[in-house]
Amino acid sequence: MELTDADLVARVLVDDDQHAFGELVRRHQSSVRGLLRQLTRTDVALADDLAQDTFLRAYKNIRSFRGEARFSTWLYRIAYNCFREDARRRKEFVGINEEQLQSEYDPQVADPGLRHDLMHALSLLPLHERSAILLCCQNGLSHEEAARVLDIPLGTVKTNVLRGREKLKRTLAAWGPD
Amino acid sequence: MDAKHQEDWLDRQLREAAPYIDDEGFTWRVLQQLPARRRRRDSLRAVILLGMALLASALAYVLSDGGRFLVVAMARLTTLPTFWLLALAFGSGLILMAAGVVAAISKASELRP
Repeated sequence: MELTDADLVARVLVDDDQHAFGELVRRHQSSVRGLLRQLTRTDVALADDLAQDTFLRAYKNIRSFRGEARFSTWLYRIAYNCFREDARRRKEFVGINEEQLQSEYDPQVADPGLRHDLMHALSLLPLHERSAILLCCQNGLSHEEAARVLDIPLGTVKTNVLRGREKLKRTLAAWGPD
Repeated sequence: MDAKHQEDWLDRQLREAAPYIDDEGFTWRVLQQLPARRRRRDSLRAVILLGMALLASALAYVLSDGGRFLVVAMARLTTLPTFWLLALAFGSGLILMAAGVVAAISKASELRP
């Protein structure tokens, strides 16, 4: 029988079982790295560094995980904090660098692939909308869970998801279902 | 095109645009950076507790004239009425049970993730 995340966390807590923690990393590395790649706008090296930092922090602070939320939600929160701290360190005010992004967007050379267009459209969203879309629509978190990860009110998450969706729909109108 | 249909389509595209990322040594790299395992101090703690208990017993034995207080206490117990003996036994049982429950609750909260 496969152990649940809660079982593995308990082993880390009681026996300081690093193999159990390794299993947790194996289970969640893809979603955490994926989220960070999207947040860093596909900077793979930076995203992986932040993902490593995320798991190291999770290990050091695992006693603060109370099991009130899913382990993945708790990890996303740490990952998001790592991302924000790194952005501040780099003196990039998160979500403001939109001018540069807009200048990168050239519809004349848009790739015909839907995925490429989707990723590009996603990267054009302001950070607060992008984060909400990534957590709720891509990673399947509820609005309440996303609010906990992003540390913002529930209503703000709902607004950000709605606005982000509208923008994506407009950008991808040509690809939409008939 | 209905809005719900479009939302579902968008969400599906977003999920499909996030393929599984192969581990490729990532977990190993994380594990390499973990701090050294905490030393197990349980056995040391047990030795200290046992040593203290033995020392306290030896002291009590020596200071009480070869454990004479036990004989006196037993003699007093035999003179107690049956009701008081039962009450004493019941009270002791309750105290032990309460201590057990407290220990179990404390262990459970330690195990809870």
